[in-house]
Formats: sequence, C-alpha cells, structure tokens
Amino acid sequence: MTTGLTGVALARLLVQDLFAAGAAPHFPPKAKQVLQIFCPGGASHLDLWDYKPMLEKYHGKPLPGAETEVTFQGKNGNLMKSPWAFAPAGRSGKMISTLLPHMARHVDDMAFIHSMTSRTNTHGPGCIAMNTCFTREGFPSAGAWISYGLGSLNDNLPTFVSIQDLRGEPPNGKANWGNGFLPAQHQAVALAAHQPLRNLGRPAEISAAEEVATRDFLRQANSVHATAHPGYDELRARMAAYELAAKMQLAAPAVSDLSREPAHVHALYGTNDTNALKAAYARNCLLSRRLLEQGVRYVSLYCASRASAVDGLLNWDAHKTLKADYDRHGPIFDQPTAALLTDLKQRGMLADTLVLWCTEFGRMPTHQDGTAGRDHNPDAFTTWMMGAGVKGGVSHGATDDFGRRSVQDVATVYDFHATVLRLLGIDHEKLTYYHNGTNRRLTDVHGHVLERILA
Amino acid sequence: MLGLLGAARAWAADSAGIAFFEQKIRPVLAEQCYECHSAQAKKLKAGLLLDTKAGWERGGDSGTPVVVPGRPEESLLLRAMQHAEPDLAMPPKQPRLPEATLADFVTWIRMGAPDPRDGGGAVARRADKSWWSLQPLRPAEPPAGPSSDPIDRYIDAALAPQGLTRNPPAPARELVRRMTYDVTGLPPTPAEVAAFARDYALDPARATEALVDRLLASPQYGEQWGRHWLDVVRFGESIGFERNVIIDDLWPFRDYVIASLNADKPFNRFIVEHLAGDVVGKNDPAVEVGTAFLVAGPYDDVSNQDVAAKKNIRAATLDDLITATGGAFLGLTLNCARCHHHKFDPIPTEDYYRLRAAFEGVTHGRRVLATPEERVRFAAATAPLKKAKAALETEKAALDTVIDARAKAELAARLATRHKVDPLLTEERFEPVRTRRLRFVMHASTANPRSAGASRLTEFEVWSAGADSRNVALARHGTQAAGEKSTTAEDFAAAYGPQLVIDGDFGEQWFIGSPAVLTLTFSREETVDRITFRNAKGGDINDEKSRGATPCEYEVQVSADGREWRTVASSEGREPWTLAHGVERLRRTILTPEERRQLTDLASRLGAVERDLKAVPPLREVFAGKFAQPAEPTFVHKGGDPLKPGEPVVPASPAVLAHAVVGYALPADAPEGERRLALARWITRDDNPLPLRVLANRVWQYHFGTGLVDTPSDFGFLGGVPSHPALLDYLADRLRAHGWRLKPLHREILLSATYRQSGLFRPEAARVDHEARLLWRFPPRRLSAEELRDTMLAVSGQLDRRMGGPGFRLYKFTQNNVCTYFPLDEPGPATYRRAVYHQNARASVVDVLSDFDFPDIAFSAPRRVNTTTPLQALTLLNHRFTLDLARALAGRWHGDAAAQVRQAYTDVFQREPTAAELAAAMPLFATYGPVALGRALLNANELLYVE
Repeated sequence: MTTGLTGVALARLLVQDLFAAGAAPHFPPKAKQVLQIFCPGGASHLDLWDYKPMLEKYHGKPLPGAETEVTFQGKNGNLMKSPWAFAPAGRSGKMISTLLPHMARHVDDMAFIHSMTSRTNTHGPGCIAMNTCFTREGFPSAGAWISYGLGSLNDNLPTFVSIQDLRGEPPNGKANWGNGFLPAQHQAVALAAHQPLRNLGRPAEISAAEEVATRDFLRQANSVHATAHPGYDELRARMAAYELAAKMQLAAPAVSDLSREPAHVHALYGTNDTNALKAAYARNCLLSRRLLEQGVRYVSLYCASRASAVDGLLNWDAHKTLKADYDRHGPIFDQPTAALLTDLKQRGMLADTLVLWCTEFGRMPTHQDGTAGRDHNPDAFTTWMMGAGVKGGVSHGATDDFGRRSVQDVATVYDFHATVLRLLGIDHEKLTYYHNGTNRRLTDVHGHVLERILA
Repeated sequence: MLGLLGAARAWAADSAGIAFFEQKIRPVLAEQCYECHSAQAKKLKAGLLLDTKAGWERGGDSGTPVVVPGRPEESLLLRAMQHAEPDLAMPPKQPRLPEATLADFVTWIRMGAPDPRDGGGAVARRADKSWWSLQPLRPAEPPAGPSSDPIDRYIDAALAPQGLTRNPPAPARELVRRMTYDVTGLPPTPAEVAAFARDYALDPARATEALVDRLLASPQYGEQWGRHWLDVVRFGESIGFERNVIIDDLWPFRDYVIASLNADKPFNRFIVEHLAGDVVGKNDPAVEVGTAFLVAGPYDDVSNQDVAAKKNIRAATLDDLITATGGAFLGLTLNCARCHHHKFDPIPTEDYYRLRAAFEGVTHGRRVLATPEERVRFAAATAPLKKAKAALETEKAALDTVIDARAKAELAARLATRHKVDPLLTEERFEPVRTRRLRFVMHASTANPRSAGASRLTEFEVWSAGADSRNVALARHGTQAAGEKSTTAEDFAAAYGPQLVIDGDFGEQWFIGSPAVLTLTFSREETVDRITFRNAKGGDINDEKSRGATPCEYEVQVSADGREWRTVASSEGREPWTLAHGVERLRRTILTPEERRQLTDLASRLGAVERDLKAVPPLREVFAGKFAQPAEPTFVHKGGDPLKPGEPVVPASPAVLAHAVVGYALPADAPEGERRLALARWITRDDNPLPLRVLANRVWQYHFGTGLVDTPSDFGFLGGVPSHPALLDYLADRLRAHGWRLKPLHREILLSATYRQSGLFRPEAARVDHEARLLWRFPPRRLSAEELRDTMLAVSGQLDRRMGGPGFRLYKFTQNNVCTYFPLDEPGPATYRRAVYHQNARASVVDVLSDFDFPDIAFSAPRRVNTTTPLQALTLLNHRFTLDLARALAGRWHGDAAAQVRQAYTDVFQREPTAAELAAAMPLFATYGPVALGRALLNANELLYVE
C-alpha cells in the first residue's frame, strides 16, 4: 500500500486522518465545523444581551453594598442604565438591545449563556482565557485542540483560520490562535479579506512554466534522495507537503475571491457600506462563510481589535464614553454578523456548523468614577452559541438584578469549551497532550458540559 | 500502511514513546482490561496481568508474551482486541473497540511497545521518594564488551538482548557534516569536507579527533549550544501578555550565554550566576548579567487597581521563575505543586513556596550593570555638567520670578472681556473674509500653558457668513484637513488623525501633534465669519479625564497663497484657563529687550549643557531584574489562591530531595540575595543528582536528537524513564568529574563509535526499534529553524558572521499602548546574521523561523517539535529571502553550464553531482538559468536533513 500511494493521496490521508488524536468520537458528533465570532475589549453584556430592568429603575443610585468598590481602572460611581432601550425579539420574546436590530432577528436560534465568569479582569489574559482556558500565554487555542483532535475536512486549505479585524489584532494577538505546545500544524493560519495568506503567491519574477519546471526538478531530486534514504518517512511527507502547497495555491485565492458572490449577497452583508470598518468586517464575514463551505474546520472571526491609547477606540472597551464608543462598534458588528447567520441558515450550513459568540469578560453596571463608561467585570458576562446541536431561544444561567455578578448556574470558560467539544463529539476530559510534566487538556482540570443548551 | 504510520510518527516526533503510551494505551488498558487483568482484579482471568510491563512480557497462562514489540501481527493482545483469534475476542461480550483505538495499539507495538510501568506487582500510581531520578548518582563499572569506549559498551549492552548491533562507521562526508552541524549549527564548507575526507582516509582516528577539537574550539560552538540553552531558559525579548513590549536590553544575556559556553564555564558556576550573579559577582557586569535568567520569561505589566487581581498577577509572575528554575536545573515540575501537593511526584506544596520565598524579592526590570571604575568615570564626567546646569536653572528661575511678578500685576490690571474657552463648545467670530485656506494655530492647552501638543479636538467647524450659515469645513464638502498627530496606530492608519475633526461626527478625536496647527483647505473659496471647536466625546458625563486636554490659546488665520497668513481671531481677551496661562500669554508681550536677550542666552546655554550631558555615554542598563527585600513573609497559598494564605514557609531547600542532598533553611527574614544564593548553592552541590542527570541528558539529547530521558525537563513520574539508566548515571558522573564542564563530555560522546556510526537504515533492525532509541544507527534529523536559515545564508555566501551585540529583527514593530509585530516582506542583508542573534519577540510570527518550529517562548522549550507543513513549502518557495539567496548563490558560479551545475551541488550539498543528477539539472539550468536551479536546491530535502 505504501508504494502505491501518490504523494497527493498520501498527503490527503496524512492531513485528514493521522493528525487526529482521538479520531474515534467519544459521543455522536452534532457539529463538524465551528465559527467563532469574537468581540474583543470586553463587550458589555448589559448593553447588548442581558436585560436588567432594575438597572433602569435605580439609575443614578449607588450599587447596594458596593458603594466604594475598586475594580480594574479604579473607583466606581453609581449605577448607570444602558443608553439603549431593550425590546422583545423573535417568537421567544427575548429582550435584546436596540443597538443590535439585525442580530435581534436571530434570537430564536441562539442559546445564551448569561452567567459566564472569567478568572481575570485584564484584556490580554481574558482573551486568551476565552480561547485557551488559561490566562497565561503558551497554551493551545480551542481551534488548535480541535484541529489536533479531529483533523482536517479538506485537503487544500488550512484546518484552522483566524480572521483579524482591519483595525488590528485582538489583545495578546497571536497567542489567541496559537498551537501552544501542540505541533505547529495545528495553529491557525491568519487570513482576512484585506490580508491574503502569507507567501501564497508565486513571485512575480517567476513564470508559470519556470514554476512547473522547478517543481518537477525538485520532485525528482527529492525522490532520488528519498529512495537513497529508506526508513525516513519524513522525506516523503515533506514531498507531499509541497504537493499540498500547490493545491493550496489554487484553492486559497479562489475561496478568498469575493467577487464570485452575487450582488444581493454583498448587499445582505454590507460589504460596500460607506463605513469602511463595517465594510471590511462584512467582507470578513462573507469570507468566513466561504471558508466554512470549503471545509475549514474552525474559523475564528474578530470584530474589533486591541486596547489602544484611547480606551474604546479600537474595540469594545468602553471605559469612559460608552454611548459614543458603542454607537461606533454596534453598527459595524450588527448587520454583517446577522447576515452571516442568515446566510448560513439559508444554505443549511447550521446543520453542521456550531456558531459561538465570545468576549473576554463583561462590564460593570456602575459607571466608572467621573466618566460615562463602564469598567471591566470578570464576574458576569454573556456568550452565546447557535447552530449544530444547540437548542435555540434558550438561556442558561443568570446574573443578579443589576448584572454585577453571575448568580444562577454560574458558568466558566471551561464549561463553555467542554460544551463545544461535546458538540463536536469529544469528551473534554479525554482530549489530552503531554507537555512539561502533565497531560494537558483544553479545559485544564475543570469544566462541565452545559447540558441545558444542547438540542 | 507501514509507511503511513511511520510518516505520522515522524510528523509528530515529540509524541513518541512513553508519552504515546500514557495518552493512548494506558487509559484503554485501565478502562477496558484492568477489571480482569490487574493486581486489583477481583478475579484475575487467564493469569494475565496488563497493569505492568512485566505482565504482558510474561504473558498469561500460556506463558508467551502477549505483546511482541515491533510485531503487531504476532501480538496476541492486539489480535484478541481485533477479534482476529477464533475464540478470543476482547474485551469480552462487547463490540470491537473503535478502529482508531486498535490503530493506536498497532502504532504502539510498532514503536517497540514502550511502557514505563516497571515493578513486578501493583502499578505505582505516583512516584515516591524511591523514584529513580531522586536517588544519588550510582555510577557503576561499565558493562563488559569489546569496545574500549565505555559509552559504546553501555549502548551495546542494551542492543544485544534485542539481537541488534551498531552500524559500521559513517563515511567521511556524512561524519563531518553531522559533527559540524551538531557542534556549530552550520554546514562544513566544501573545502572542509574535502580536507577531512583526505585526512580520514589516511588516519580516521586522528582525523576525527582533530575535527572534534577544532569544532569545539570554534566560537560557533557557543552560538549553537547557547541557542539550545536559550530554549531551555525560555529566553524571549519582549514581555509577552497583552502589551508585549519589546525588550532592547536583554541581548547581553544572550551574549553571556554564548561566551560562557565558549569559555567552557563550569555549569555549576553558570547556574549560580543565573540565580544570584548579582551576589557572587557584585559590580562585575560579566557575572551580574546572569540574573537576566530570572526575568527572561513573560509577565503581565498591565496596571490593575483591583487588589485581588494584583496579587494573582504577582503570583503568576513568580510562578514563571519557579517553573523555569525547576524545569531547567532540576527536571522537576515544581509548578504542579502550586495549588496542592504534586499529584505524581513527592513534591509537597510547601516546596513550591520555599522556592517562592527565594524569589519573593525579584521584580522584572532593568538595572545598571557597571564596574566600579565605570561608575567613577561616569560620575566624574557628569558631575560638573550637572552643577553647571543647576546654576543656569537657578539663574533662569530668578529671572522668571521677576518677569512673572510683573506679568501677574499686569494681568490683574487687564480685565478679561470674554469667557474662558469651553471644551464642549467655543466660538470665535470675526469680520467676514473670503478664503480657501484657514488654519488654527494653537499655543497652549488646558493641561499645559506652554504647548498645545498632546491635547485633542473632536470637531472643528468653519461657518459661512450671512443667512443659511453652514459648516464649510466638513469633509463631505471636499475640505481637506492637515496636521500632525501625537500618537499612531500603524496597522490602522486612520486612527487619531486630523480628518476626524471635520467628519461631522462627535465621536473620535484628533490627537494633536507638534507643531499644533490645523490647516483646512476648502474645495473652493468661501466667505466665512465664524469658527467653533469642541473637544467632547458625548455621553452624560464629560470630563477632562476622559476627553483629554483642550487647546485654549490660539489664533485663527487665513491665507491667500498658503505662505503668508493673517490672523483674523484669537484667544486674546478671553479669561485665561489658569493664572499660569494668563502669565504665559502676557509674557509674549511684556518682556523687555534685555530680558528677551537674557532668556535667549540662558536657553542656549542650558541647551548646550543638556546636549553635553546627553553626550556622556550612560552606564549600561540591562534587563537583568531588580531586587528588594520582601516586605512580607511567604505563605503557602491554599489551593493556589493568593487571597487564602496558609502556613508561613521560610526560604529553604525543597523537601523532595531531603533524603539525598544536604538541605538548608534560612530565617523568614533572610536577606534577599542570600535566599537566591542559598538555593543556587544547594542546586549545584556535587551530591545533588538531579542537575547533573538533567544536564547530561540534555547534552545527549542535542547530540542524538532524543535524550536518554525523552522528557528533558521532567524527570518525574509523568516524564519518560531512561532508555539507558546506567549510561545516564555514567555521563552525569563524568560531568561531575570534569568539574561540570561540558566540552570534555562532548568530546567523549563525539568520539564514541556510537556517535560515529553511519545512519544506514536496516529494515530488520527497524522492525525491532523503528526510532533507533537504542542507537543501532545514528538517527537522521531535520535541521532546526535556525540551522536551516543559517545554512541557506552560508551556502550562498551571504552569512554575516559578526558575533554579539543588539539583535536584528525579522519583523516590523509598532506600539500603540500594546505592541504588534508584522513579519518583514523584504529581509535585506541587515538580517543575514546567524539566527541566534534574532531579537525573538514573543507572540510574533516571522518567516522561515516560525514555519520551521521556532518555539513561541512563552514556556521553556527543552525539546523542539518537528512538523512538516505546506506553509513551510510556500515560504521556502516564495519568500523574498529564498529568492535573494538563490540569486546570490547563482552569482557564485562560473564557467559553462555543466561546470556551474557542479559548483551548485558543491556549494549547497558539499559534494559533486552524480552523472544522473547533472543530466537532470541541465534542462532547468538551460531554460531558466542558474537562479532557478539555486531556488530548487535551496528547497531540496538534502539541504534540510542530516544523517
């Protein structure tokens, strides 16, 4: 069997099967692919998803029992209601911020987790904790674990793609999509509508004919060398990698070519919006759908970027001027994301695709002393899931009356990822990798599946 | 199938052996088999034990092994699991286990069935103090054997029971390439290969000895083995975490490591310098720099007002030091004892906090490293200048006092006629003027009476005269705004710019730079009579803290040609923002000519002194850590939670080795430096077996690709067990005998026949030991990322061999609060130094190095992973680096086509092409030229692998 395989077939098998750590599912998988949408900066649960009538009622009053609380940036003032009204949406009547009118249409498909908590109140560690379950960098991202656990669904594109916002990388940058200590093939490949895959294209100075001749020569030279060095399978593997690279050179530009999409699709997403940031994000949303269609296992899509010299300018970190900041970020996020969900649904892709919405932590119900913004709040935030294997129109857990703390069915990032793995057919306690003295897991030594949101 | 599995193994070389067993095999055995086949079984079935290695080796009642290493098809255990035996389907009364699980068993058996579960009886679930690595060194007489070399006799003794023998000696070219890469990280030159081949033919022993001595004496030895050590000590030149700020003064540590290895500094001294160089080498920068080890790991420097968060961050920062120390020197995963007693090793949680007590006074940061002479010289050079500066400042202050007093008196006399500037909205009216150009020249801000730099504006409006007045400054009317900004976000060019003040949106602000001038150009001439400006971000509450400073002293000017400007309105007459603003405004008008002259003169003299002061070379600061006496004693953190202090602990030796090594305990308030020194002295005691074993194993690993223990920083229960325990102790003992110097140990290893044997593949031997862990052949290996890059530079004649100093960068670095690293598209010759001199920022991705598994140094990387990916192919084929080097390489060849192809092979592979190769290369060369051939050869497997 060995000698009969061509390089390409070999590569295909290698990529699809043998990278997988636990190819046998522990549970019947509900989802095959994952789309993770990440709004970095600590997107406020109180202004987007978590309706708190008491906050409106007690606006301007001190938060009972926490009048002098000091959080990440310092002292807190009194309770501050959301600048946006909430309105019921969908058949479920879920109350959603009027800042997100397009997203509101999808609430019947979403399972909200309102009782999330984080171990850190700082963006960088918070972001990587949401992605890796550890606040320290150097651990594999969930996408990398899933690549390691399940392998690839295609033979000409990366398994795990991370799409950054035009405004830049999220807090802690590449640590969010790194392979950590897993082998490097499990890291995400960075790609965006405005940023093609690195080193993909044949250099301009080399003609197509020269490329073919060079590769033919190289294949032949490597073949002679491999034959002279039996018992070293890596030599053949590297030859296969060159064939795979050639396929990727054809497939990646094709999948990134958004001009193949009809005008009504572009209009749905808003790719030609006059707001350049919204248009750029919309193109990334469209790119996400195309990547999923081509069998990319895990797509991680960012809407906004890191902390900047001004809080809340480049991401959802509205410390001082919540209204002005979210009036900017909300519209960038709303229509394109909703369009992506609509599109996935219309194409039947939600049957296999699990959609996640994440942020690193929530925000305080109070305003920050002397400002009209909210400080970080790791004790309460909202995430949601929808799509394959997820019950729609439900909520798991709850925060207290003011949204200060998660109090009912408190959930963690470990629970979140235990649930994601379960939906992919993996027991989060069994997907392990030995590193520096321990068999590491995505969920560290924690995590319970959030059964209530499973369909 | 064999090939596929083999390839998979090679692709994931780090998950071999014991780790594979622990992950894939042991859980299945425990779950599916132990119920009937273990010491705990209620009723043992068929007399077969599967909870020890000895159990399956002995077999059940049949008395034959149920696993035959290397031969899955002959292993009864697997056949039963596959339901391939007529009456033996295991586990009983169940469907077959999943195919993937069965495939794991095939893989495992093919690997030689590695199984660490020794001991005859019940399986130990954790290590106790009798664990092998915690015992004193037990050097024994090497086994008997024909070889005169003890190392060879140990190897042969392990090969013989498997029916294996070592390969014959490697041919000359293979040996010289292997040794040169191994010791220096570079390929030999074609001339060196040829010369060695000549000498080797005459007298192999002498030629080899001469080669080893030459290589170990070459400065490139320190670069190669220093790089290995930098991996172990998680050396990275940015702080990591959210801000990931670059560190430009950590490179002296890299140079220190290289120099120490080249000098063959005893490793016990080296370790002491790492932990307490400032104590043992006070005022000797060459020694003090060692403490950079302590702070070379990532840490979180984001300021945090939350008390609990602060303590957690501090705990995480010290955890990095403890983890690094335990792993690098002791091979202990001390960090696993942070929240509870170690689950697998006999490390009580107190041990973790004993080490924390040693490091309690360490903080990340830089300090001056200078000799006493340098300090004296610096003081002598700067003292007179500082004195002169102080005198001038006194003189100026006296003059300012006189002027300010007069200005204040004048200010009191002049009543302000208009309101203060209002940051939320300020208006200036003027006579209607027709213009295409208008500018706003700002002299002061609400935060600084002397400059408007770093203040901000949200919106600036210019209103047309007459009825239906409209804002003609809006960008949508075609107006252009120009002005400097005080901060940038390079990957997001639109941030903070002056265009934001004419976008009609009161959200984002222009961060005003220097000079503080906003210049507007309208699309056509307009008649205007009013401007308004505001610095307000919206929302209910709007204060200086969130909106920043606002310009408050200014002039509005117009111009017909963009050169001559006429002031049409200004802040004159407004109530000044503060008294100081008023004084500053008046100073512009009330100075006497004499005062003006004096001020100018003072400013120029002060400027000169400050320039001279700056010109004195500063004492060198290095990111080597800062030390202070801890304010509080150290406590155990219950459950690892710093908010739950438990029992106090003192700085003391960890109890895990108390039975083997004489310990120490210092008082709770022991001086800070003594704590680290005591720990260092304890680690480096000659009777401490762990550092010697760990170090000897690292040396072996870098020579052969895999250590005798394949988990080089974990000698605990979950780590690998030694493939050759007696050899490991022998090597550790030799290391001690050599006074902890590495070079004599290298020499012994390099001269062993085991090392010098060929890499020849023998299928019958591979069936027993595919990975050659027993060393029946020299295992081939891929070059590391650095070796590959250095090789490409070396063979194309472009390698810049300058040693030391600040590193080069393969990325563009930007900072806007947090730092971002963008890979370089055009790495020019400035980057053509050896990769060890690359300034390795954390969480950065650079071409070639990252592709070929240069680790992200968030953790120690005691062993590189080795992957094969399509992205590697894309980089090596298409990146400018390859193209530039292919061109340089081709430029070295001369003569006719055949001669050039010959030179190509000689340059790149240090050998002549065969006739067939020559024939195969000619068409590519003839049609597409030498550069095409160069590009192909730089991509060839032969370049990337050594045997």
